[in-house]
Amino acid sequence: MLMNMDRELLQIIGVTLRMSFFSTLISCLVGMPLGVVMAKSTFKGKRTIRKIIGTFMGLPPVVAGLIVYLLFTRYGPFGSLGLLFTVEIMVIAQCMLIIPVVINLTESILSVNVKGLTETAKGLNFSKSKTAFLLLTENRFSLMSVVLTAFGRSIAEVGAVSLVGGNIQWKTRVMTTAIMLETNKGNFTFALALGIVLLLISLAVNILASVMTKEDIK
Amino acid sequence: MIEIKKLTKKYGDRTVLNIESLRVEKGETVVIVGPNGSGKSTLLKILSGTLTKTSGEIISHGDIYYLPQQCIPFRKTVRKNILFSVKNDSERIKRTDEILSLLSLSDFADRSAAGLSGGECQRLALGRVLVNDGDFLFLDEPSSAADIEGTEIIEKAITEYKRRTGCGILMTTHSPGQAKRLADRIIILHNGEIAEEGSPDELLASPKSLWGKRFIDFWKFVK
Repeated sequence: MLMNMDRELLQIIGVTLRMSFFSTLISCLVGMPLGVVMAKSTFKGKRTIRKIIGTFMGLPPVVAGLIVYLLFTRYGPFGSLGLLFTVEIMVIAQCMLIIPVVINLTESILSVNVKGLTETAKGLNFSKSKTAFLLLTENRFSLMSVVLTAFGRSIAEVGAVSLVGGNIQWKTRVMTTAIMLETNKGNFTFALALGIVLLLISLAVNILASVMTKEDIK
Repeated sequence: MIEIKKLTKKYGDRTVLNIESLRVEKGETVVIVGPNGSGKSTLLKILSGTLTKTSGEIISHGDIYYLPQQCIPFRKTVRKNILFSVKNDSERIKRTDEILSLLSLSDFADRSAAGLSGGECQRLALGRVLVNDGDFLFLDEPSSAADIEGTEIIEKAITEYKRRTGCGILMTTHSPGQAKRLADRIIILHNGEIAEEGSPDELLASPKSLWGKRFIDFWKFVK
């Protein structure tokens, strides 16, 4: 099946990669600047916010899926958008799970050297945006591993996407939900093929992450 | 002109800095000496805006550049470290080359800054500051990690920069010799307060405070 690249398999891989790409992109675009703020600034309530972020990091995917489902169901506050059972809503649900992880990891990485770098940047009269750019570029290898972690979390997620996406064939079926379905149906060959692809992508992601980490140590 | 009035810094009940008044004019080099924990770095951090004061007034006019004690090389080549630090203008490449040459960094301009020794890194950090034209420089122990040759290069670069720009300099050091060579005025800081101040010649001739005497004794010993 893998050699012949079954049409449905290709479609599932495509949807999975599209969903994971956008979940990762949006989560990083939102989470990284917030992580910079958390690492760089001191403000009232920072500890509380950190605790909330920590709590959301442990949010069960099905609960995230349920919240997003209720928000976007026909009678929910955003029901008129008609996003339920689309790839877009799967991305939204995943962002809810991944953004706290990205904020926390970004803050942890930047906390190590943010003080010294900020002091240096301030001494050189850098603007706020140039300082933020410096912080991000100086930690680019570590932050790349945050991106890969976000991608890994997205591609392996099943609970939330199955709830809000509905696992609809040719539309919102992704690799993890398809594996579950095919296993339940007893179609182990297809489930296994999907599992192998998922593992290969995870392997590629991990190899990339370890290369990045190695580069960082140098 | 930089002027300080009744400046204090407290951590809880502990007062680490209490300066009644201090003024630095453009074209003047003021060197602060004093034992560890006397408040030298705290003063520069507050003046550069990297640390908040507890109370007091700071009046400053002009562009200020600050060199912290801790040298952090950017993850770039030596040349790109300087280029990244200079404000955008048409002469930035020429100025970068001049600074590299002034600080004897030209030979490793295209090497990664991460591989520099402590003294070389300190020269690079100074270069990132000197590549810009500032009205005032705050330098926190600019040659603490440098050897004799490195110290000489750094002192020449600071002197040359001051001659070219006419800036005011407020710097800290543990080296009495360096204070004597660079200072128009020396301030002895002890327990966060100014124990004594005056020109190097005045201080050498008749130190008044206990710390002034110890400082001169140490200088004579080193000499």
